[in-house]
Amino acid sequence: MAYIPGQPLTAVVEKIEIQKLRQGDNLILGFSIGGGIDQDPAQNPFSQDKSDKGIYVTRVSPGGPAEQACLREGDKILQVNGWDMTVVTHDQARKRLTKKSECVVRLLVTRKSLEDAVKHAMYDHPK
Amino acid sequence: MEGNGEISDTDSGIILHSGSDSPTTVTKDVTTHTRAMKLKHQDLKDKLEICLLELKKLCIREAELTGRLSEDYPLLPGEKPPQIRRRIGTAFKLDEQSIPQGESELSLVDAELALQMKIFEAARKLCREDHLNKAVRKSRLLQCKREEKKLKRLQEIAFQLRLEHGRSSPLPAFNVAQDLGTSDDSSLSDSVVQDEELTSQSSQLSSGIPCPGETDPSLIDGSYISPPLPLQPLHPTPCPSPSPSLNSTLSLTSSPANDPPPIQNSPWTESSLDQPYQKSKKSHSSKIIPSTNHMLPPLEACLAQSGLPVQLSHLKLSRCQSTSTPSTPEMRMHRQLSLRLSNPESPFERGRGHTRSSRRRLTDYAVSLPGTPPPAVNYGTHAGSEDSNSEHSFASHNSSPCQELLCDFPKQYRSAFPHSSTAGSHGHQAFPHAGFYHNSRHQSSPSFHKAYYNEEMVYAPDLDLAWSSYTQHPPCPSSRYEYWYKDVAVPHHRPQRPLPPDPRLSPSPAQWDLPHYRPSGVPQQVVNEQLKSWHRRSQLKAPRSHSLDRQGAVRLKNMSAQEGTCYQSQRYAEQVTLSPAARLVSDSSALASR
Repeated sequence: MAYIPGQPLTAVVEKIEIQKLRQGDNLILGFSIGGGIDQDPAQNPFSQDKSDKGIYVTRVSPGGPAEQACLREGDKILQVNGWDMTVVTHDQARKRLTKKSECVVRLLVTRKSLEDAVKHAMYDHPK
Repeated sequence: MEGNGEISDTDSGIILHSGSDSPTTVTKDVTTHTRAMKLKHQDLKDKLEICLLELKKLCIREAELTGRLSEDYPLLPGEKPPQIRRRIGTAFKLDEQSIPQGESELSLVDAELALQMKIFEAARKLCREDHLNKAVRKSRLLQCKREEKKLKRLQEIAFQLRLEHGRSSPLPAFNVAQDLGTSDDSSLSDSVVQDEELTSQSSQLSSGIPCPGETDPSLIDGSYISPPLPLQPLHPTPCPSPSPSLNSTLSLTSSPANDPPPIQNSPWTESSLDQPYQKSKKSHSSKIIPSTNHMLPPLEACLAQSGLPVQLSHLKLSRCQSTSTPSTPEMRMHRQLSLRLSNPESPFERGRGHTRSSRRRLTDYAVSLPGTPPPAVNYGTHAGSEDSNSEHSFASHNSSPCQELLCDFPKQYRSAFPHSSTAGSHGHQAFPHAGFYHNSRHQSSPSFHKAYYNEEMVYAPDLDLAWSSYTQHPPCPSSRYEYWYKDVAVPHHRPQRPLPPDPRLSPSPAQWDLPHYRPSGVPQQVVNEQLKSWHRRSQLKAPRSHSLDRQGAVRLKNMSAQEGTCYQSQRYAEQVTLSPAARLVSDSSALASR
């Protein structure tokens, strides 16, 4: 899913709410992210459009809070608690996600299978 | 004797012997020689025949194409010139754009689609030809239908691909959706089944290009808007720009080129979110009022979504600058920022924190100086000049005029906000934008978020209009309508022409929205379907407008109904995408709200 800053975006999104797991002093989210506007988008193995500088979920640790919330590897994070994640640096995204003051993060993510589902619905649906 | 007895004839290769034993060998040599010559002769003859055959073939092909047998046709004495059947061929001129440039599947499909479009046009023209006997007409109709099917299939494929690519292709969906609409027009006059007129193609090409411009009123409005840009925010009443911005937003999806990133790319890394984040700790401590982060809407997010990352934040910064409030060190920071602002991403990158604080400052300011006109003017001009700056950068990489306009309209339009908020002096709430989309209360409402990416993007300019017109002046829906009718004007002319054999193909969705446009052949059912989905869509808006009501955007309900119309008439592809998506959204939001 390509996103060009300054251009309108249409995406099928899923809302995911992750309850952070408290482990001692740490809050565990159970996934890893990659990408951001400061990283080379061409190396992103998950994006379809290699110029996409969005934040992608690169790993979801099994049994972790993210997996329980149905976050999947390769998901593109669009928002975190309402904050845009399509034009942020990697560190900004990390900051947003790992805020200690928040034990719940609400994500808006998009993934290819979501778009596919909509597409199918669209073709089943008479125009 | 030996020495001069032998003379070698180099020419013939025959060795002449003057010796007594020579005669037998000489005669033998001669016979072999003649045989060799004969063989050579035969060989050449064969070659000539082959060449003649080839020439004949070529001449016949030429004759098939030109309808005239070439004089070079090798006629043997007594042979009659062959009967030539002229082949009727078609030749299409395709846009440069349509010729596959890359290896990508999408561009290939696009090219195929463009070609198929022409083929279909040709087939349809053949169908419409007069003086046909029944059999021919029937076969042509069949052919036409077949081509149409193929075209539709290709369109679907292209559309799917485009979806997958997230519309990142250099061709906006206009090529698929709108081209079909416009090609209806051009096919009647321009695309010609080739008999003789090669010339017609050039006219077809030239007429193909202006079409999008004609149907896209943003062009018209664009010329109107660009010169008085600085003044626009101050006089929103005569300005129909919000609608064009909606329109152009819809008609485009992406621009092929990206600006060079302001931030240097570092290698793509992943970072686990399980480890404590050191830097984030630092940012926590440096944060002045953490709680207000929740209260304050993430303006950047809105901006990034709605197509003007820079402008609003920038405007605020420049606003700070233009005021005569005592400049704090922080303010100076802003000033520096505003110098860098021609690049869309830098404010996020560098000035995330600053932007936020400056926003707060601005609202404070708005309260302290309610409705002071001079700063507003000042501000407007400032905005204008900055706009032109970034507009330039947009223009440089956008291929079509409407894309450029897309960037312009919301920008220019949105710049009206700080002004209106100043006038209203609502403090925090005065930021329609912010309060509107990202009030913390609303963040928790699921429907809001669900809808966010799907619709808000597209509607944002319009909603904004609602807001600004609410705060500033009596709403003027008439201009909106005018606009839409303008937009529809082109399809509107169509009924004057003979209708294509299958009307389902010709009407763009826009036509269905025109009350007085009734293509004779449109099945009632299709219309009903359209109306239904339209209805569904307008119902969809309900949750959102509720939440907006709390903000006092009273007009929004009406607006959303209108949007339904406007929006639907806009883009075929877009519309198709959205309706199921929207359904999904409404379903899930309904679930979530339970």
